[in-house]
Amino acid sequence: MRNPRTGWLLLSPTLIILLIFGFAPFLYVLFVGFNQWNVFSADDGLVFNGLDNFRRLVFDDDFLHSVGLTTRFAIFAIGSQVVLGFILAQMLTRNFPGKSLFRIIHTLPLMVAPIAVGAIWRLLVIPGFGPVPFFLDRWFDLTYQIGSYPDQALWTSVIMDVWHWTPFVTLTMLAGLSAIPREPVEQAKVDGASRFQVFWYVTLPFLRPVLLTTVFIRIMDAIRTVDEVWMLAGGGPGTRFTGIYIWRVVFPRTDYGYGSSISLITLYLTIVLCWLLFIAISGRRKGEVE
Amino acid sequence: MKKLFTLVLLLAFVLLANMSLVTADMHDWWAEAAAPYAGTTIRGVSESTPPSNYVADVLAAQFTELTGINVEFETTSWDQMYSKAINDMEANTGIYDFVYIEQDIIYSYLAQDYLVNLTQFAADNMDLAYADYDESAFTSFADYFKNADGDLFGVPMEAFVKVYLYRKDLFENADIQAAFEADYGYPLTPAETFEQYRDNAEFFTAYGESMDMDLWGTTVQGSTGHPASTYEFLESIGPSFGLYNWGINLETGSAQSANGGALDGETAIEALSYWIGLLPFAPPEATSSTWDEVASSFAAGRAAQGWVYGENAAWIATDESRSAITGNVGVRLPVTAPGVIEAAEMGEGYIGYYDGGAFGVPHSSRNKEATLLWLQFIGQPSVQAEWAAAGARITHTATFDDPLIAEQDAKVDGYYTLLEEQGPLFAGAPPFPFHAQVREIIDPFVQRAILGELTAEEALTQAAAAVDEELSRLGYGM
Repeated sequence: MRNPRTGWLLLSPTLIILLIFGFAPFLYVLFVGFNQWNVFSADDGLVFNGLDNFRRLVFDDDFLHSVGLTTRFAIFAIGSQVVLGFILAQMLTRNFPGKSLFRIIHTLPLMVAPIAVGAIWRLLVIPGFGPVPFFLDRWFDLTYQIGSYPDQALWTSVIMDVWHWTPFVTLTMLAGLSAIPREPVEQAKVDGASRFQVFWYVTLPFLRPVLLTTVFIRIMDAIRTVDEVWMLAGGGPGTRFTGIYIWRVVFPRTDYGYGSSISLITLYLTIVLCWLLFIAISGRRKGEVE
Repeated sequence: MKKLFTLVLLLAFVLLANMSLVTADMHDWWAEAAAPYAGTTIRGVSESTPPSNYVADVLAAQFTELTGINVEFETTSWDQMYSKAINDMEANTGIYDFVYIEQDIIYSYLAQDYLVNLTQFAADNMDLAYADYDESAFTSFADYFKNADGDLFGVPMEAFVKVYLYRKDLFENADIQAAFEADYGYPLTPAETFEQYRDNAEFFTAYGESMDMDLWGTTVQGSTGHPASTYEFLESIGPSFGLYNWGINLETGSAQSANGGALDGETAIEALSYWIGLLPFAPPEATSSTWDEVASSFAAGRAAQGWVYGENAAWIATDESRSAITGNVGVRLPVTAPGVIEAAEMGEGYIGYYDGGAFGVPHSSRNKEATLLWLQFIGQPSVQAEWAAAGARITHTATFDDPLIAEQDAKVDGYYTLLEEQGPLFAGAPPFPFHAQVREIIDPFVQRAILGELTAEEALTQAAAAVDEELSRLGYGM
């Protein structure tokens, strides 16, 4: 029988690192979140202010607006990635000429750092210099200016995120599809199920764990999106997502107390959202056990 | 005759010998003073600007060659520079030995006691005091970096004003002049009034469209995702209308007119309305433009006139590899409302922003002595002229008289002369210890006004109320 102590011993380096770099900063943020602390205020020390920061953010229009924008961004970006990722994964389960090359090219965006993705897209879409506004204007007489139209900035962020992260969803879906046993699918076909019925009643239930994990990861990423969107539009109207709002409060405004409280609430919202989604997708109900 | 020739030759020889001795002495001094620190690496951070890039590309290497002290100089974006410097100084980590201090942030840094008193530090380390370095050689811009006792906390490295640039090739074109006069009933000239500026902008936008040219009437630093738009409004447009100190009354701690402020006053609303009204005559990139993009747009010949930071004037006017309008750049004072120049002359106001910055040493630096040598190196007279020619910045009074600057002045349509003679009409940012904090509050309102989501009056009324709330929260308000 294996000694549990050996297991803990092997785990200890990871646990220590997690405690130091994960849990300790979280406790610090928790502590700061209940204080007023701005290093450029007349009294620059920490002053305990109870729940004031949390009360303030409930009435903070900019924060609430950022939550709304982030939600829209997450829904459209992740929804598109899941649909596109599934279609591409299905395609990659079949053989077609140039499949290997397609798979390499399709995976390339994943290897690019978010800040570089933002820079590339900025160069593509910056009015006056970028090719996208130029050709949209020339060919379709469309005005495309992300600095002037918040909706265009939001949709550009969504498309950029889809371009960057769909390959990740494709790869996880592909792994999930590859793991589905052939027998249930073939049995369903023999029983006369249509392609949609095979997908809905056989493939999707088998894919559910992979789908859930992928969506969780993407939700967490989408909610904390900062770098690529900041690079693209500087967090202007249409892209002032929660992550960027937190960055602005904590860094240029140096309002560490309030910034910490927003971070905590954002973490809480992320957990709640993931939990609700988990219940919705896995179909678990109160009292059910695995 | 022969005797005279021999005498002249002898004098020339003595002079040359003296000069080479002085140069050798100078080299010896740097090597000797830096000997204990040779091999040390000092690190600094700054915004990527023409003067900073000259420091990184030229001065750092010269200093290392003389002293053996390595200089790692990071030139980054404006936002990142502040984040990195403030985080380092606040956490006392000592990553940076010198940081860029923009004129407008110095009051915040001094209030937090982030910086070493350089005058005092040099006095305490006389063996490191370089004879040619003299604090009194700096222009009055250095006063912004001094405390009440006159001690210096930053060695000025760039100083410039935001000027009115225009394309001479367009303004001096006879056909264009005739077309303008036919349309507007008066001659085309560089603008001296706001009405004229708007007419010029409208005319050149229509002209560009009719000629199928990528030409618009004016630049607008109107980024909706960057503080640059707030800065153009508060530090260039506002003052030229007579709105000073961001409309914040430091005595009452308020930006609202009802409490002595002026951010929501008539002058501010008029200024913002006017500026936003120029957007239809600006290139499409205007709402994504910070100061860098404004300079690039103007250099690409996409705007006939505009407010452009002077640090860019030299390269726009002379660097053919980066500018499409070399030799055709006109430089003037920015347009002002009636009475504003007179108020500035009497010291009761200013017409725009006298911008620039200095390098200071954070208390957290672990290499203060080596950094003091570095700051004296960049603050000595002998490096100033070439730096000024490359970066359109002048921090020493004597640099204005340097032959190299006189030559460059002619190429930049008298920018340096304007800086010397009209510089006192401009002023640095107000002495706010809460500069970035309050500016961040104002940003969204200015940006929403640019987008047309708020009128100028709505934007400024809401901004003034939000500023008062923030000032109160920071402990500076009512």
